[in-house]
Amino acid sequence: MGSPIDSWEGAGAIFTGAGGATPGILLFLAVAAVVGAIAYGAMQEETAHKEKK
Amino acid sequence: MEEQLAELAAKVAAMEEGTGWSTSVNMEVFYWWCTALMFIIHAGFLGYEMGASRKKNVLASGMKNILAFAFVIPTFFFFGWWIYLASPGGLPDFSAETGGAPWSDAMGPNLQDNATGIFWAAFTLFAATTASIFSGAVIERIKLSGFIILAILLGSVVWILGASWAWHGDGWLLTEFGWHDFGAAGCVHMIAAFFALGVLINLGPRIGKFNADGTANDLCPHNVPLAVFGLMVLIVGFFGFLGGCIIYNGTGQWTTIFGNPATLSAIGFNTLMCFAGGIIGGWLAGRDPFWMMSGALAGIFAAASGLDVYWPPLAFLLGLCGGIIAPVGAKWLERTFKIDDAVGAVSVHGFAGAFGVIAFGVFASGYPNGDYPDTNLLGQVIGAVVMAVLGFVPGYVVSYVLKMVGLLRIPEHVEIMGMDLAEVPVSAYPEGMETSFGRGAYATPAQ
Repeated sequence: MGSPIDSWEGAGAIFTGAGGATPGILLFLAVAAVVGAIAYGAMQEETAHKEKK
Repeated sequence: MEEQLAELAAKVAAMEEGTGWSTSVNMEVFYWWCTALMFIIHAGFLGYEMGASRKKNVLASGMKNILAFAFVIPTFFFFGWWIYLASPGGLPDFSAETGGAPWSDAMGPNLQDNATGIFWAAFTLFAATTASIFSGAVIERIKLSGFIILAILLGSVVWILGASWAWHGDGWLLTEFGWHDFGAAGCVHMIAAFFALGVLINLGPRIGKFNADGTANDLCPHNVPLAVFGLMVLIVGFFGFLGGCIIYNGTGQWTTIFGNPATLSAIGFNTLMCFAGGIIGGWLAGRDPFWMMSGALAGIFAAASGLDVYWPPLAFLLGLCGGIIAPVGAKWLERTFKIDDAVGAVSVHGFAGAFGVIAFGVFASGYPNGDYPDTNLLGQVIGAVVMAVLGFVPGYVVSYVLKMVGLLRIPEHVEIMGMDLAEVPVSAYPEGMETSFGRGAYATPAQ
């Protein structure tokens, strides 16, 4: 994590953790958050519909 | 003398470097503002979709629209952009080093790459547009979770696969058949509309839409002025959309996404002319302000394929046809096939888009495409069929699976009560603006 560069001279990819393992971990967490949000939303929707029966 | 020459050479080199930077920055700025304008499309979709809903569903419809946008953006980052870059030859090429994979150096801040992020952003807004087109058609009875899954499928997989085939400098519809579709009438509008049609078949009509004898009731929108205004706002955003359809090269000549030379002037002429034609067509077809503004959209789609080359009066006439096709097509779907498309999205985007794609083959065949076949009618017809099938099949199949597992349609009691009361923790109109029917009390105008 943190800066992947120690100089701006000739720098390319400058995003946090570039070239390391952390972008992969963050990508996995982001995908999990999207999937989890859909699952949570589905459960919440189901509960709301049952409550109003 | 030698010193002067060296000084001159240094100046030329500095000027060249400055010009290069200017080109990159201009390109970034141009697409940045196209993207910002495309956000306005979604402000329009939001207003128009909420206005087209009945009062008991207005907030649920708005939430659905906003969430489609929110879920398409990250998923388009995860796999949408990669699909676009990896699939111009057909199915995605998993061995291709395209730079579109989310872990690649290009997919984040990179001082050597001024293009990827800004093009990704513009394409993400096109993706969100497809989801919003679909969103309007299915209001007032689709489950939010099932809708989100379908919106992701459409916005981050299906349309972008179509874009790779039909809106890419190496897309096989161009390289094999000479396809041309400047304003994405095929890959954006037709795919989204036919996807929606596939879902609508499985979703079924809203309770009370059709009587036992098959005649249709008019489930009145709760706020037509908001819907009409939303449509006008949406059209403002289309200037960003159509601006994003042109490639800024920094070489003194814009091109289409297919590599043909083009000018923004051409787009200026023709966008205004087909917009006007669409409104007049919608007016002639029924004098309904909702359909007049939907006709404006349909008019733009009817001329979208050739906005770069049409003579403006032709764009006007095509727009006029689009404005008539939209309401007539929507009625035909409703009466003949009992399809309840709440906003007429299939007709506005699908039928007018298909008309526009094929009209290009009729009126604009013979334009050169470099090493590829010249533009031609057969190529346009083949492309239109491909776009319709590519949209319809995934929409139908996946919505059928969602229906089987109970994720497609809300329960009957929720639909009658109103989705806002069941699902939304706030009220749309807390000042007591009740309709004459009372909040969510009735399902049909007859009741």
